[in-house]
Amino acid sequence: MDLANYKKAWKNQPEEINKLSALEIYKMTQAKSTSIVKWIFIIGSLEFLFWIALNFIASQFNYAEVYEELHLMKYINYTYYLGFLVLFLFLVVFYRNYTSVSSVDNTKTLIKKIIRVRKTVKFYVYYNIISTVVVTVIFSIVVANTPGGMEAMFKNQDINIDPSQYLTLYITSIVITMIVLLGFLFLFYYLLYGLLLKKLNRNYKELTKLEEAK
Amino acid sequence: MQTELEHNFLQDFETNQNIVHKVCRIYTNNQDAHNDLFQEIAIQLWKNYSKFRGDSKFSTWMYRVALNTAISLYRKSTRTIKTQDISELSFKIKSHEYDDTEELQLKALYVAIRNMNDIDKALIFLYLEDKPYKEISDTLGISEVNARVKMNRAKEKLKKILNP
Repeated sequence: MDLANYKKAWKNQPEEINKLSALEIYKMTQAKSTSIVKWIFIIGSLEFLFWIALNFIASQFNYAEVYEELHLMKYINYTYYLGFLVLFLFLVVFYRNYTSVSSVDNTKTLIKKIIRVRKTVKFYVYYNIISTVVVTVIFSIVVANTPGGMEAMFKNQDINIDPSQYLTLYITSIVITMIVLLGFLFLFYYLLYGLLLKKLNRNYKELTKLEEAK
Repeated sequence: MQTELEHNFLQDFETNQNIVHKVCRIYTNNQDAHNDLFQEIAIQLWKNYSKFRGDSKFSTWMYRVALNTAISLYRKSTRTIKTQDISELSFKIKSHEYDDTEELQLKALYVAIRNMNDIDKALIFLYLEDKPYKEISDTLGISEVNARVKMNRAKEKLKKILNP
């Protein structure tokens, strides 16, 4: 069977009956875009806000007192400044990647650029998780090795624990918090970005399939 | 009050809108979705029109932006119904102008293309529109050799759907 006949039928197809007037087209161009990129940008911005808020809340914690007692405040402040600098850099890259997305690019480049916008946010989240883990571990080691550090950590809590249990309890609580946080993040990403990026990933794979096989 | 740029754009768009309608027909299944996609394409075209320098024809540029929007930017709205009813084809055919066999062939063709993946849709569409391989490879961002191989596969797939 040949496609020629079908192609002929295609060529002879009549023009659209519901043609739009210039005015109708003009009205359309004034509407807000609801593209995938726009969604990724909005959700990405919300994520940045979420992490900024989280860092802010964490900084307000009464733990500061403990750290002050242990003379760790200086280092805590350094990590905050560094955190803000990194956040600023991420925001710049995020915004630049977003504005570089152009529907005039070829399809492959366009998809690549859209995925890059999303990746910027992903790396920021990774950076946050990793830096939180690293900072927590370092401070825990410092606190555990400082004489009286553990006692200072728990003295504000209204619980009665055997001082020999401090370290176990401390580590357990950190591990549980991490697991809950990571579980929540994973679910969030899996659902949200899974849905948003499914089409893009599928199409990108389809476009690059043969090139990679070579 | 429209600027000269807007005026030119609307004139170009109005004359060439059939291209966008065809893209909407192959990428969507009902009138609501058709209009949705049409609007998003119109937004994208206008957003980039100031950068359009006329190095290529307006229509060539339109193919690219329209396909890009359908493949990468358009998010199916929740109201999109996932049925493919032949009678729902979002255009009506004036029977006196159009041969019966061809009408059936055209409808079968649309139904078949709608069953293909997004990239194959683009390939077949550009083939039906008689676009040279150079333009197809430029539009999709793949090599010309790759475009030929993919095109042959897409055509085979299309034949299979049309004549199982």
